[in-house]
Amino acid sequence: MLVVGGGQHLDKGNPSHVDGELWTTQLDALVAYEPAEMIAVVEAGMRVGTLRSLLADGGQEWPADAPDAATVGGLVASSASSPRRLKFGPLRDTVLEAEVVTGDGRFVRSGARTVKNVAGYDVHKLLSGSLGTLGVIAQVALKVGPLPQRRRTLRFRGDLTMATALLDAVPAAAGIIATPDGVELRLEGWTAEVDEQSRAARDVAEPVDEADDAPFPKSSLWDDAPVVAEVAVTPSRLGDVVEGERWSALVGVGIAWVGLDHAGPPLDTLRRRVREAGGIAPVIRGPGGLGDDRIPAPEVQRRLKAAFDPNGVLAPGRGWGGV
Amino acid sequence: MADVEAARRALEEALGRSEVLSDPLALRLYARDASLVEGGCALVTFPRRLPDVVACVRIAGEHGLPIVPRGSGTGLAGGSTPIGDALVVVTSKMTDLIEVRPADRLAWVEPGLANLDLANALRPYGFTYAPDPSSQQTSSIGGNVSTNAGGPHCLAYGVTSNHVLALEVVLPDGTIERLGSEGPEAAGYDLRAVMVGSEGTLGVVAAVCVRLTPLPPAVRTMLLDFETVAECAATVSAIIASGVVPAAVEMMDNGIVVAAERFAHAGYPTDAAAILIVEVDGTEAAVEEQATTVESAASANGVRTIRVAADEAERALIWKGRKSAFGAVAQIAPHYHLHDCVVPRSKLVDVLAGVYDIAERHDLIVTNVFHAGDGNLHPLLSFDRTVPGTLERVLAASEEIVRLCVDAGGALSGEHGIGLEKRDFMPLVFTAEDLSAQACVRSAFDPDGRMNPLKVLPDGARCGDFAMARGDDAARAAAELPEGAWL
Repeated sequence: MLVVGGGQHLDKGNPSHVDGELWTTQLDALVAYEPAEMIAVVEAGMRVGTLRSLLADGGQEWPADAPDAATVGGLVASSASSPRRLKFGPLRDTVLEAEVVTGDGRFVRSGARTVKNVAGYDVHKLLSGSLGTLGVIAQVALKVGPLPQRRRTLRFRGDLTMATALLDAVPAAAGIIATPDGVELRLEGWTAEVDEQSRAARDVAEPVDEADDAPFPKSSLWDDAPVVAEVAVTPSRLGDVVEGERWSALVGVGIAWVGLDHAGPPLDTLRRRVREAGGIAPVIRGPGGLGDDRIPAPEVQRRLKAAFDPNGVLAPGRGWGGV
Repeated sequence: MADVEAARRALEEALGRSEVLSDPLALRLYARDASLVEGGCALVTFPRRLPDVVACVRIAGEHGLPIVPRGSGTGLAGGSTPIGDALVVVTSKMTDLIEVRPADRLAWVEPGLANLDLANALRPYGFTYAPDPSSQQTSSIGGNVSTNAGGPHCLAYGVTSNHVLALEVVLPDGTIERLGSEGPEAAGYDLRAVMVGSEGTLGVVAAVCVRLTPLPPAVRTMLLDFETVAECAATVSAIIASGVVPAAVEMMDNGIVVAAERFAHAGYPTDAAAILIVEVDGTEAAVEEQATTVESAASANGVRTIRVAADEAERALIWKGRKSAFGAVAQIAPHYHLHDCVVPRSKLVDVLAGVYDIAERHDLIVTNVFHAGDGNLHPLLSFDRTVPGTLERVLAASEEIVRLCVDAGGALSGEHGIGLEKRDFMPLVFTAEDLSAQACVRSAFDPDGRMNPLKVLPDGARCGDFAMARGDDAARAAAELPEGAWL
């Protein structure tokens, strides 16, 4: 069985034969939300767009920046990266608690509805990036934060070198995206703070464009490519792996989305470069799977899969290493 | 049956005689951490490099000795307290800062390096390591990893798990694996995340890849004092409600303020009912905005004085009082039991009142420190354990405090871990099914049960086994200790 949320990352995963799909989209309730606690508890099928509105009413946000139709559970299970990951870190760090249904129908809760918790093993953390192979995420408690007073995007001519210069010069940038077309710098915070950061950016170079409250990124050059690989390398190696005309790189983070014409030799070439740089390059759209990178402690991984999905019901073979 | 003699010879051959201890004094010294429980062990080793760690794990496994990893031994829940014929693997001689890579914002460190030593070593590069537990002068990075350590700056910056990119571990079967990655994503299930906070039960951490946090351009530290606890707590809520997430919000009650002041002479007002240390950081403008909001929130809630640290020296002094508080209470009584629970911020005042009540009913002195920003409460019971009957009262009061926090919707532990101390309270917050799933995680790493047995999970929690049928009302009257451990 394949677990489906918003259907945004269904291509991420190794080929797996399934007989049916379990759609989480009707599990979309807001379970608990108290702005003063900075925690929102939602069912996994809640759409990102719905969550954004709910949290905005409380002056807060979950900085996921995914399409409105994406679900919370899907973002967690596919380990999606927010364009503002530079500031907010990986989404998995915002998952404080999860309620999960295992492959053999057991109901398990892990974590706590508090920002700090170290009680036992963080089973819920295994669900992040698990691509629906360990269990069905039914509900999560998310750490949320205040909406900024001001949001500004500055665009610059230049490439990764320019982007890196901005990274070094501008304190606490929300995100820096480099593409073959130039660099987008996102600043968020109090107006005075954003103004201060803008000045620091201008010390590096004069922007070609500046806009408040614009979408970030403005556009994604790889959006209509038939195959998109999501590269992950150490930030200093981005220059070694991005190629072609359709890519975006999260500077300072090390994520890059690279659009390709097809999954054959171009993907192999990309994966070779990525491997040399010590990273991974799973495909998130189109064929190509996750890549055949070795998984650490494969025996441990297999035992975990066997424990949580003893009957091999949850997308067998879809996960890393064919687990 | 453990063959201690054979293990000792094999370890001496592998590590060198000077790195293997078996004399009674050494065994006694390493039989405990900083909690109340004392256990026992058979051998103590000091690996100096990765092959040594592998040798320790392999030899212990071959000779039937349980393996108990230990950093600096500052743990407060008995996580590194050995039991029985254990081999204690002490990482305190593995203290290298292996490499610093500013362009990738990461550094590799050996597990025995002290937290504060790491932070200080990173400063010249313009970075810090964000998790800053109060024990940071002594506690090791490896130890921090094993308890997913927190600290005052975790509200804004996150806990240890958010700052560990990768781990080089020796698994219980002696194999070496890198969990996680230097880059932002890794292949496979997030084993790194499960290893953090696993309290030495899944393997021995031999190297840690930490995330570097840029030093903020500006920082402002404020000391606020209040005439009532309620106004102090209300100020915290008001600050958060206004959209400010300070770098740190620490609350101290009168008892601990008095003790800390006598030691640190930080200028804490000893007649205040409670004080707040609030630190904000970021760009100059951000600091200005945040500080203004903090001061307004405080003024709106009856603050008596607001003192702003004028320079780095004063900032350090204000923090010195806070960070030495747990040692300063030695002036009150020779022993203490430090609690660690998390409650929703909105329940802070009620829970604190409950803690005072519990202490009074058991005729104990309690003082309190709060990571107020994230609801992490540290009640501190001061006592003299040599007075007959005292320890029983402490344990009884402790159980009530745990139940109070859990009933308020909180977590069993915010940063100290479960260890031995809270093992039998796990059923208060987790069902049999939940604990079974946790046991599955544990046995996936350690199918033969070699690592730090008897910690974290209560007796009977088994993978796939529904025999764990205890439920909420099965938690015992006092923390039950396994055979061989004593108070």
